[in-house]
Amino acid sequence: MSRLLFLLLFTVSLGYSQDYYFYAAAESDDTVSLISFDGETLTEEERIPVGVMKTENEGPHGLTVDPSGEYWYLSLAHGTPYGSLVKYSTTTNRPVDKTTLGMFPASMQISSLTGLLYCVNFNLHGEMKPSSVSVVDPETMTEIKQIQTGVMPHGSRISPNGRFQYSVAMMSGELFEVDALTLEVNRILSLDKGGKMNHKGMHHSPVKPTWVTPHPTKPLVYVAGNGSNEIIEIDTDLWKITNRIDTGKGPYNIDISSNGKFLVATLKGDAKTLVWEIEKKNKTVVPNNTSVSHGVVISPDSKYAFVTVEGVGGEPGLIDVIDLKKAKVVSSLKIGKQAGGIAFWKIEE
Amino acid sequence: MKKFTFNLIVSALLLSSSTMFSQELVVKSNLEGLTMSVGETFKPTSFAENLKGEKTMCQAVIYYNKKGVFSTAKAVTVNRGEGTIRANEPGTHEIVALCIGQQGQRLSRTFPVQVDFPKAKEIKITLSSSKVYEDSYIPLDFEVVDEMNFTRKNEFFQLSTDSNNIEIDAFNNVKAVSPGKAVLSASFDNISTSLTIDVLENPVVKLELKAGLDVARTGDVVNYEAIGYDKSGKRIEGLPFSYTFSGKAVDKSNTASGLIMSDGKFVAEVIGDYMISASIGSSSVSRPLKVVGRGIEREVLKVGKGVVTDKHTSDFWVFEGVDGRDYAVTGTWGADGTSFFWDVTDPANIKKIDSVKVDARTVNDVKVSQDGRISVIGREGASDRKNGIIILDVSNPYDVKILSEYTKNLTGGVHNVFIDNDHVYALSGSQRYYIINIKDPKNPVEVGMFEVGKEGQSIHDVWIEDGIAYSSNWRDGVYLVDVGNGIADGSPSNPVAFANYDYATGAHHATFPFKSKSTGKFYTVLGDEIFPDGVDENNPNITAGFLHFVDFSDLDNPVEVAKYELPGQGSHNYWIEDDILYVAMYGGGVRIVDISGDLLGDLYRQGREIGYIMTGTSDGYIPNATMSWGAQLYKGYVFYSDWNSGLGSSKVSDLKPDNSKANQYINKTPIID
Repeated sequence: MSRLLFLLLFTVSLGYSQDYYFYAAAESDDTVSLISFDGETLTEEERIPVGVMKTENEGPHGLTVDPSGEYWYLSLAHGTPYGSLVKYSTTTNRPVDKTTLGMFPASMQISSLTGLLYCVNFNLHGEMKPSSVSVVDPETMTEIKQIQTGVMPHGSRISPNGRFQYSVAMMSGELFEVDALTLEVNRILSLDKGGKMNHKGMHHSPVKPTWVTPHPTKPLVYVAGNGSNEIIEIDTDLWKITNRIDTGKGPYNIDISSNGKFLVATLKGDAKTLVWEIEKKNKTVVPNNTSVSHGVVISPDSKYAFVTVEGVGGEPGLIDVIDLKKAKVVSSLKIGKQAGGIAFWKIEE
Repeated sequence: MKKFTFNLIVSALLLSSSTMFSQELVVKSNLEGLTMSVGETFKPTSFAENLKGEKTMCQAVIYYNKKGVFSTAKAVTVNRGEGTIRANEPGTHEIVALCIGQQGQRLSRTFPVQVDFPKAKEIKITLSSSKVYEDSYIPLDFEVVDEMNFTRKNEFFQLSTDSNNIEIDAFNNVKAVSPGKAVLSASFDNISTSLTIDVLENPVVKLELKAGLDVARTGDVVNYEAIGYDKSGKRIEGLPFSYTFSGKAVDKSNTASGLIMSDGKFVAEVIGDYMISASIGSSSVSRPLKVVGRGIEREVLKVGKGVVTDKHTSDFWVFEGVDGRDYAVTGTWGADGTSFFWDVTDPANIKKIDSVKVDARTVNDVKVSQDGRISVIGREGASDRKNGIIILDVSNPYDVKILSEYTKNLTGGVHNVFIDNDHVYALSGSQRYYIINIKDPKNPVEVGMFEVGKEGQSIHDVWIEDGIAYSSNWRDGVYLVDVGNGIADGSPSNPVAFANYDYATGAHHATFPFKSKSTGKFYTVLGDEIFPDGVDENNPNITAGFLHFVDFSDLDNPVEVAKYELPGQGSHNYWIEDDILYVAMYGGGVRIVDISGDLLGDLYRQGREIGYIMTGTSDGYIPNATMSWGAQLYKGYVFYSDWNSGLGSSKVSDLKPDNSKANQYINKTPIID
């Protein structure tokens, strides 16, 4: 029913111009930018200073907007020593609540089933030991549980039905499936070609998975093999790898369009973005306008991919908008340094 | 999920159904009104119910302690596998029941759960004075030990007595009114105990109050000693005197304030006439004290500046180069990884002479070796996220060369760094510091590491002096670590902690060791870093926190004795030399403070400030916005860095403040000869 309604309204909306709104974090400037895109031009609507300590870099990293669109959530990577999660109002862009998480909290998403937020504790700069997924009730901003997963977990994404949370462990080379209801690890899959990972005999995974995204309609998840320069397709019914797709250097973050047609992956090492038409198996590599491509989010109408590009040193971070049909950058905007986390908010007619 | 955001109507429909769920239903649970005992386990059941009392079962219920996952939440723990909660500590705790509806909508409710204190097993009253004299209040401590061996202090006991020589007021203060045996009875939770108190006749017929000074300056610590004599004129030992003071300020609009300690130490904050008293029972003795100004204010003159116009400036270091000239290095913050080198041989004519740019956004800290040949800078925000340190050859500061990059174990960013005797002490990811031998600066080698070793350990700074590393560890306070001093057989490759002090705010970010020349006492001066209102890009940032002076003369029993707190401004980095403190107080500029003599109480209020400068400049990156970062006394000049302006130099002159510039209503402290 809702799919039908979606299609109907989508068709009606074709005749109107649309403004797209999203948030992007600048990790080395301690700012988050609210950005709009009118189909031609990106505009920075507001640059929001974040963090508490003016003279300490707190590293805004992950972003997500809750399903109602009322709040956005930001992970601050650095603390004393733990990072934190801050809840902001989309109306005022002011913080309304905060909670401490684990070491270097990074990407996150809210389950439409449980309403809980699942954020990976990347522990990027810590010891090579298993880290965790923090489960937070965004209503009370209480960290309910830390679920131990692998070494350097990243890319927290929720299955379309809200039941499972997926993340990958970058250094131990594993895919984790967490049951969003029981808050336990459900399944683990080694992504390295050599087989299952032993945490006691720690090694650096050659795959170095950095992101996982479920397909919107099929029982598939896609993993960015940052070290092996590939996208790995996993059938979640079979819980096995079903395809490995070569990419450019260092695929980092991934998003899949809601119509299931496009998979877009940032290629961090190449300063490019891969646009892959999944069914057609058609790959296009789009150069970004500066180096160190990082985050990506696709608009819900499957038209545009918004990509963050970090830049180096004193260079500003960038937002590149890629028209998915044209597979080219159609607009670009400078924001704060080391642009990374990105989350879509809304479309306005 | 994206469909929710794509279409407002769809979102509204789905949201409204979710809202209907939450508006019409309420979570019902057997947690409501629950009272548990410590150690008890309880299996909660919950469901949703509408206003008509119709039940809706939850697809799942997730229970959690509202305090989260840390140790504070251990009072009641949730076993999700068993579906139970367990009471571990007495008190009122909050358990949230989160009901996941059949269609996935969430509904939650917080339930207070009362965990009763276990029944008292024993109650104790302790007299905390060896002798009790008539006409004095009796110092008592109350303690309950319960059946689970939890100990509670200061519970309100029911006190009573049949003795007529003690009196009990409504707040359980007990006064000895006449000599003789008295029995104080107490009951709590149906357990009773009693204490026999021997109230002594006040033997004192004569009192004397000795003092080293009868005229003191504000801030001077005056030691008072009360002595009681008996009828035969013999000194009575061990009398529990109580010391108090009163006074009248010279300035009628001010209050004669100060601090008096139980051992008779007194320090005055305000010029005026004071009366110090010692009492025992109804006997007391007083002694006047005249308090005058310290007379230490001096003009502080700005001498020179090296302005950084296009980025924030961070820490700095001034050093003598191998050519005998004087140089400085400054870092930059939130920028492009640049460090600047300056010739400061003529402090009035500071010249920018070179710069080094590395892959980083922030070079927060910069240090130079004792021989002036090597500089180490810390990196944060490197594009490859490896960060680490960069070792520089500064033997010719006009032509600085990068010797090596070292990132092993330092990828979390090096916020602070120190060089001492061919070793670099570099912070790693806010958790620990590594010790790196740089005898061959092109091939640095890790030789040691120190961490506090506690859950949640965190570190902000490390400073080395006389083979002792002083690390500043936020809530874990300062750790004194032998890295070559010999006091604990430590070395750079075997760092050994031998002393520690922490304090309640947990905001400890910097340490400077201070051996007082005037008293011989050894202090660590511990600085806070606090931004109480967070970050505000559009207004000056509010800072808070102060310097804690901890007397470490007895390493096993450090005592916090004094503080320097500038009202409305927080502390950052500082330097101490010849019993003078030079402290950057962010928006309060650089403050120069006399810390000679014994230290006690609030040093700022004691008029110990010699002078100050506001470090902002009109041509700075952010003009006229003082944000002092650090200060260093070097060859008689006070150098400083300012976040918004760059590098500067100043001089404490011999001149007393020019009162002609002062508002006529400012009452400068008069010196009474």
